[in-house]
Amino acid sequence: MTHVDRRGFLLQTGGSIAGIALLPELDAIGPRSLPEPKAIGVVGIGRHGRAILADLAKIEGAKVVAVCDTNAARAKVGQERAAGAESFDDYRTMLDKRRDLDAVIVATPTHRHRAVVEDSLAANKHVYCEAPLAHTVEDARAIAAAAEAAPGRIFMAGFQGRSNPIYQLARTFYRTDAFRDFVGGSAHFHRKTTWRFPTDNWRLDPEVSVGLVGEIGAQQLDVIHWFRNQTPVAVAGTGSVALHKDGRTVPDTVHAQLQFADGSVVTYEASLANSFGNQHEVLRGTNGTFNLSWTHGWMFKEVDATTLGWEVYALRQQFHQDEGIILIADATKLAAQGQLKAGIGLPYSPLYYALADFLRSVSFPNVPVACNAKEGLKATIVGIKANQAVVGRTPVSIEL
Amino acid sequence: MGAVRVATLAMGTRFELVITGDDEPRLRAIGEAAVERIEEAHRAFTRFDNDSLLAHLRRTAPKLTAVDADQFALFTDAVAVTRLSAGGFDPSLGRRSLDTALILEPATRRVGLAGPDTALDFGAIAKGHAVDLAVATLKEAGVTAAFVHGGTSSGFGLGTPPGQTGWRVSLGRMPGDPILDLRDQGFSVAGALSIRAGSRRGHTINPRTGRALRADRRVAVVGPSARLADAWSTAVLVTGRRPQSLPDHWRIWQCDAHHRWIEMARTAG
Repeated sequence: MTHVDRRGFLLQTGGSIAGIALLPELDAIGPRSLPEPKAIGVVGIGRHGRAILADLAKIEGAKVVAVCDTNAARAKVGQERAAGAESFDDYRTMLDKRRDLDAVIVATPTHRHRAVVEDSLAANKHVYCEAPLAHTVEDARAIAAAAEAAPGRIFMAGFQGRSNPIYQLARTFYRTDAFRDFVGGSAHFHRKTTWRFPTDNWRLDPEVSVGLVGEIGAQQLDVIHWFRNQTPVAVAGTGSVALHKDGRTVPDTVHAQLQFADGSVVTYEASLANSFGNQHEVLRGTNGTFNLSWTHGWMFKEVDATTLGWEVYALRQQFHQDEGIILIADATKLAAQGQLKAGIGLPYSPLYYALADFLRSVSFPNVPVACNAKEGLKATIVGIKANQAVVGRTPVSIEL
Repeated sequence: MGAVRVATLAMGTRFELVITGDDEPRLRAIGEAAVERIEEAHRAFTRFDNDSLLAHLRRTAPKLTAVDADQFALFTDAVAVTRLSAGGFDPSLGRRSLDTALILEPATRRVGLAGPDTALDFGAIAKGHAVDLAVATLKEAGVTAAFVHGGTSSGFGLGTPPGQTGWRVSLGRMPGDPILDLRDQGFSVAGALSIRAGSRRGHTINPRTGRALRADRRVAVVGPSARLADAWSTAVLVTGRRPQSLPDHWRIWQCDAHHRWIEMARTAG
């Protein structure tokens, strides 16, 4: 067709220009808001579901209109947490009755994600699925395939590091001379807790649990995949019950060693028997090291690394003999306002930024999804394979 | 029958739960669920972290934010005690009283602050609130006998320990100090002075004057809610009077500088 309708052309270009203009510039760490309200259903009102409800309440325009849990007591808690939300005990009934839902957030136990995700996408809803995507490679692939086959619907995997403003800042430095070449990395999660729920102890059920490295490690290791743009090719591991000798077979302490194609190694350790150090990811480069702890982050420079211009203004913190530069998102703006110290630490949880990113992608279809199905699948498979290595105490190759 | 002990650090102090029963792994899991509620309350109401709900309200003032039913109850109780104590208890920092600093919208269960110049300090009510949340979690899970306290100054005795009439709490270490026998009751103790760097200093601010209380007094309140006991213990410490509106089943003791604990008459105005 050679004839271009001028009015149509102007409308199209005008529309796209307007679309760009309407996309608000984000304050790196401040409160998030949506251009117009979105109706949301949350499926699974356990520990994580409750945290999701609390964070959604702080996103202007995020309107939770439905909560769903097969456990009546938890569904009631959902209603107490989300004023005015309708309660359901079956997500299919929710999808059938609440046609007004824009998005569904899936926070059920990991092994129950697949059906909820597939049916929600089939019902034409945007879907945020908590990480990891599934407890088996088969289910994870099915979820990713369903997301790929649902054009026009946003699917986001809840690997939160990718939405974390401090991690995003660190990643920009990772790609510069401040970090240079990857030497090695490690991540750990230490918390003294039983990991047992009063009811439905699926995390301690070896039939459906992907263990500490699959449930929590996958989230942390994805940070390293994301920084490096590559995933490990093999993993070795071991695990034990160090403290909670209550009949469980799922280890309360695990170690894994993940090997990359270039020969580099990332180690992972998680324990429910000791809380020292909480949760960190460390990436070591030839010019610097990042120590990331979800709400805070630091960069440690090698003494022979080039001094960066902004370093003179940076805030620092001493860790025994090492001095860390505190990573502050929006530091230039804050420094100009004399408010640099106010930027230390995130003012919202990492989950908040992930949920906000999802809803931003729902609101502005041109905004890339922070963690799409393909990336979520990779991270999930790495976690599942690492758990196989831990449980079997034998090396496992990772094929994506 | 055995007992499990679960603890966490929150709100600048150590919370501890003693839960009695037979199935230890299950009791411990229930205790950890209760601890999570305490930690959630800490994250929401701490004045010292910039990721708290209070910080969010200040950041987004005067916009309203939806809160959960328990949080709304805390805000509502705080306003009620502020009014009934004529400002003896007032978590608002700054020129406005909580009455005017806080916007409550019950129909949508939303709250907000009147302006960004307003800040709240729930230090005199949040500990009791956290204790109540923990107790509610224990009860929902079927626990019938437990003791929960935050830094020993706020607590709740749920049911009774095996073979006892209640959970026994002494208001002091001296002979003759009252011993509370708590059964399905909360308590809170507030003191005007604390020891810092070897000397006794006032750490409770009188909201009416903006100055620290100087007299060496303490107040203990016992009633059905640890949250309200917490707020009323501070209010009575400031006002020195038992509020007329407080129902008779609430009990209040006052301890003077000579270390004499005296229960305040329930009919006093």
